[in-house]
Amino acid sequence: MTTSHLDMDQLLALRDGDRSEPGIAATQLHLASCAVCQLELDRLHQRTARLRALPSLAPVQNEFPAVRDRLAVDRRRKNWRATATIGLAAAAALLVTLIGRDLVHPTRLDAEEELKTEISRSQQLEQELHDWNPDQRVIDGSTAVVVIQLENRIAALDAQLSAAAQLNQKARMHRELQLWQQRVGLMTALVDVHVTKTSNVGM
Amino acid sequence: MTKAATMDAMSLPEADALIARAKLGDPVALEALYRAHATAVYNLARRICRTTEDAEDILQETFFEVCRSIRNYRGDGSIWGWIRSVASSKALMRLRRNKYRDTDELNDDLMPARGGSAALRMDLETALQRLTDTARAVVWLHDVEGYTHEEIADQMGKTASFSKSQLARAHARLRVWLGEEVSA
Repeated sequence: MTTSHLDMDQLLALRDGDRSEPGIAATQLHLASCAVCQLELDRLHQRTARLRALPSLAPVQNEFPAVRDRLAVDRRRKNWRATATIGLAAAAALLVTLIGRDLVHPTRLDAEEELKTEISRSQQLEQELHDWNPDQRVIDGSTAVVVIQLENRIAALDAQLSAAAQLNQKARMHRELQLWQQRVGLMTALVDVHVTKTSNVGM
Repeated sequence: MTKAATMDAMSLPEADALIARAKLGDPVALEALYRAHATAVYNLARRICRTTEDAEDILQETFFEVCRSIRNYRGDGSIWGWIRSVASSKALMRLRRNKYRDTDELNDDLMPARGGSAALRMDLETALQRLTDTARAVVWLHDVEGYTHEEIADQMGKTASFSKSQLARAHARLRVWLGEEVSA
């Protein structure tokens, strides 16, 4: 039989019916004959009951609108990434064509180099955003709205880039350069919003 | 234990239909799920974390995750059980992020002396808040939410013995702070 009083581990094992606790049989034997430990066990049960009876704390504000905004951003991001992947693949194909033509028409080299630089910069920003992993970070509702707006504008630019493929060669080069420059500007803003806002969430 | 009252009030087919619609991304169904479980999630988060801001963030993060991943809910446990596991995981993640609190050992200087007067005894809410973050989380998850030590250990990345020892230490503290010591 245990001579000293039961410790908290033993009392908890008794409360929880934990048969894996070493010496549980001796513990039960002690309890049967010790009024002090019986009272301790009663108090442990009472304390547990009081914990379970603590009032339920309710949120003051409805968080669902913020959840809805974040879901919208998440959906936009997924759609936008799919579009961007297709757009970038098309851009890469275009680049291959342009590089091929450089050998024949060296006078277009500067504009085409500039276009290549913009496309490359846009890809770098895409990668930067991907590495930042915004899906795993918290943004507030107003930031989510800004993100949606930026992503919408980028999606619209990507649509214009696809449409630009229908233009004649000279007009296309000029138009695509303009669009890719705008895209880099928007991507820079998008990366800034994510990095700045998520950095401010007390991380 | 906190209950999700609205879902409890639904018949099983109604609750199943709501979950099925939520899985299809129906925003009304997702909001109904939120309304049914928001208080329970917030309460769990608030009891584990120290501030209302943390609890609000956890509430938002939990339902963002729930809405995004509900397609993966297979229905082999209650929806509340699944939501609660997301919430407790988010709450424990928040504690790890705020882990500076756990280096703050329980402040015995402010504890009532053994056999202190009733006036010096803390109420249960205050005593609970005085526990370290880890101890408080274990007490709440085990004694109130009904998680086993193995489940808590799994979520915390610790052992079941660690969880048991945290619970025993926490109760030993609560017992003193609440003036519940038994005179031999």
